[in-house]
Amino acid sequence: MRASRKPASLRRFFARPVVSQLAIVILAVLAWEVAARYSTDELFTSPPSAVFAAAADLFDEAGVMHAVLTTLWELGLSFLLAVGFGLAIGVGVGASGTSYRSLYPIILLAYAIPQVTVLPLFVLYFGPGPASKVAFGFSHGIFPIIVNVVAGLRTVPAGLLRSAYSMGANKQQIFRRITFPHLVPSFFTGMRLGMTATLLGVLLSELYVSSGGIGYYTELYTESFEPQNLFALTGMLALMAVFLNEVVRRAEIRHSRWR
Amino acid sequence: MTIRVESLEHTFGGDDAARHVRALDRISLDVYQGEMLCLIGPSGCGKSTLLNVIGGMFTPSSGRALIDDEPITRPMPAKIAYMFQESTLLPWATVLENVMVGLEFQGIPKPEREPRAREALATVNLQDFAAHFPDQLSGGMKQRVSLARALSLRTEILLMDEPFASLDEQTRMVFGEDLSQMLATTRKTIVFVTHSLAEAVFLADRVAVFTARPGSIKEIMSVDEPHPRGPDFMTTDRFARLRNSLYVQLRDEIRKAMREQQTSTSIA
Amino acid sequence: MRDSTVSRLIQAGFVAAVLLIWVLVTGTGLVNPIFVPHPVDVVKQLGRLIVDGSLWDDLKITLFELALAFTAAAVSGTLIGFAVSTSRWSTRVFEPLFAAFFAIPIIVFYPLTVLYFGLGPESKIVHGGMFGFFPIALNTISGFASVDRRLLQLADAMGASPKQRFVRILFPAALPIMITGYRMGFILTFLSIIGSESIASLAGLGHRIVWYAEALETPKMFAYIVIVVVLAMLLNAIVAALEVRRRGNS
Repeated sequence: MRASRKPASLRRFFARPVVSQLAIVILAVLAWEVAARYSTDELFTSPPSAVFAAAADLFDEAGVMHAVLTTLWELGLSFLLAVGFGLAIGVGVGASGTSYRSLYPIILLAYAIPQVTVLPLFVLYFGPGPASKVAFGFSHGIFPIIVNVVAGLRTVPAGLLRSAYSMGANKQQIFRRITFPHLVPSFFTGMRLGMTATLLGVLLSELYVSSGGIGYYTELYTESFEPQNLFALTGMLALMAVFLNEVVRRAEIRHSRWR
Repeated sequence: MTIRVESLEHTFGGDDAARHVRALDRISLDVYQGEMLCLIGPSGCGKSTLLNVIGGMFTPSSGRALIDDEPITRPMPAKIAYMFQESTLLPWATVLENVMVGLEFQGIPKPEREPRAREALATVNLQDFAAHFPDQLSGGMKQRVSLARALSLRTEILLMDEPFASLDEQTRMVFGEDLSQMLATTRKTIVFVTHSLAEAVFLADRVAVFTARPGSIKEIMSVDEPHPRGPDFMTTDRFARLRNSLYVQLRDEIRKAMREQQTSTSIA
Repeated sequence: MRDSTVSRLIQAGFVAAVLLIWVLVTGTGLVNPIFVPHPVDVVKQLGRLIVDGSLWDDLKITLFELALAFTAAAVSGTLIGFAVSTSRWSTRVFEPLFAAFFAIPIIVFYPLTVLYFGLGPESKIVHGGMFGFFPIALNTISGFASVDRRLLQLADAMGASPKQRFVRILFPAALPIMITGYRMGFILTFLSIIGSESIASLAGLGHRIVWYAEALETPKMFAYIVIVVVLAMLLNAIVAALEVRRRGNS
């Protein structure tokens, strides 16, 4: 695989995907900067330098930061609720054959409904404040968690259960030593997918409500045509999403070692 | 401790006439204390089913299995250890933890578990791998851990369902020798299911030959050679004759089973 | 009874139960009809919409946006996905980048899209195209990467030309995974269009739902919700049927 000798270490350095990815991102940002500077309307294309400057200004603006932090805690709360209820419902549904066959089809039916259509209803019922965002995020995040917990429960290898039974294990021992450890990786996968879904739910509802929160500022910057502020705000939200996703993704990897 | 099987019959699928399969047909059998009994027969002849009944995994449609005149209706982990064909190691636990979990299920108090587990691992020469995980082990090593787990339970009776089936021939031969050595030193009673004629003759004190489905016992052949048996036993005339007569018994049943498979696949 | 039949029955039973509760709750006046309209009112509005044609303008716009957005996503996703899949290096570099980007709810970029493309259909098309691009590109990459190396070795050993290699082995092997990608992309594009219409738009089905929500004309709003849900199910069914049919042919 390593053909030439001399720049081996250098080549190996660049062969690592992370390095190339960073390089690509940096190049893209530089290209953007150059293109923006040379284009006719700097205001329109908004080079990264202006965006960073705007971001710095935004940090000082209490209103915007309050909206961003509110979004953050909405995300945290709806995710935690989704995890808690998702785990409980998932265990309840997946625990026995009867509950699985009778209840799971209903879960799947609910999961199939495109929730974006009922977003206005959520706001109508829960009001334009954080409650509707948390509710909408919760209702998005709970389904992947339920589905994955159920999948984990239903796929415990029959051979393991049989051999435990032959060794005299009782129900609690089988759950503690076999079912539960088997369930853990699926649970974390569910959480990873649940986080992505919760992000969608919370951010979608935040953007929808323009009377406050982030939706207010996105509408403000759009209508007053301040692209650098909008870029900065969008960037903050995107980074928040990437960070939260990464946290859950790494937790999943750590708990799926034996898979 | 002796095992007796009385007029055992079993049908899968119960009342659903279209789907029921008669697995066992009036099996009666005694397993003597301290012997190694091999069950051999064509695929689908019910030998694993018989083993499952003896292991208490389910109750048969009619007839029964007894251990020291006590009917076997559920697993008896204090008396019978069952080593399955497929790997039943917990993938998230270490080798040592895997052996210890069997002791935990059996009800052995906590302080005794680790020393006994380590002792069992030493018996199969895996003491250095105690902290490894199953996916780091070869197939043969995984089966040795399963064997260690079964041995750690210190039961008088050991049931083994084709434990070496997934291993290559060389490993199987070595394991066979180890098992024969173990038979000489302990006085365990072992009921062992296999497909391999050579393995049956090499390991067994008696070989029970099954008919094709529904399985019944066609013949019980004795192998009169003390344990431990070494590779030189396999080159004797006696070994060849026994192996041949085993084959002669089996081949009609095997052909019958093959024909049945063809017709049953067209029905199914 | 087959499992799938049983589960369908359970689902049907559940829907019937929900409808029954809905009728009871609204009929007895337990809930303010502004929040939960009576199903009969919803059905009446639904009928009116279909008959007097006010449905069609918005439906046309939404479907038009969907068609263009999906075409853009499919073409760009397939071409770029294939290009990336040609080398190990580019796969290892770009695939995680795409996946990481996809994990961000693309909806956050919608305000920027509106800023640059306005409130009309253009912004929905661009946004929907962006959204649908990722599952298509990712599945194209993974489809071509999943080709059994041994099959390719076999083709080379038999002296296949690059074109034959592609047409006979690479493409057919990758196709099922790619089709899953198109399916996902199609549905996601549709949902993102409804979502973006809800947030900021001048027309379209999503916009109409919001319009009536804000006017507190909940029967009309529910009618449009029903239409969108039915449309989603229809589109899903069409795509699934095409997938099955294609598999049957090959």
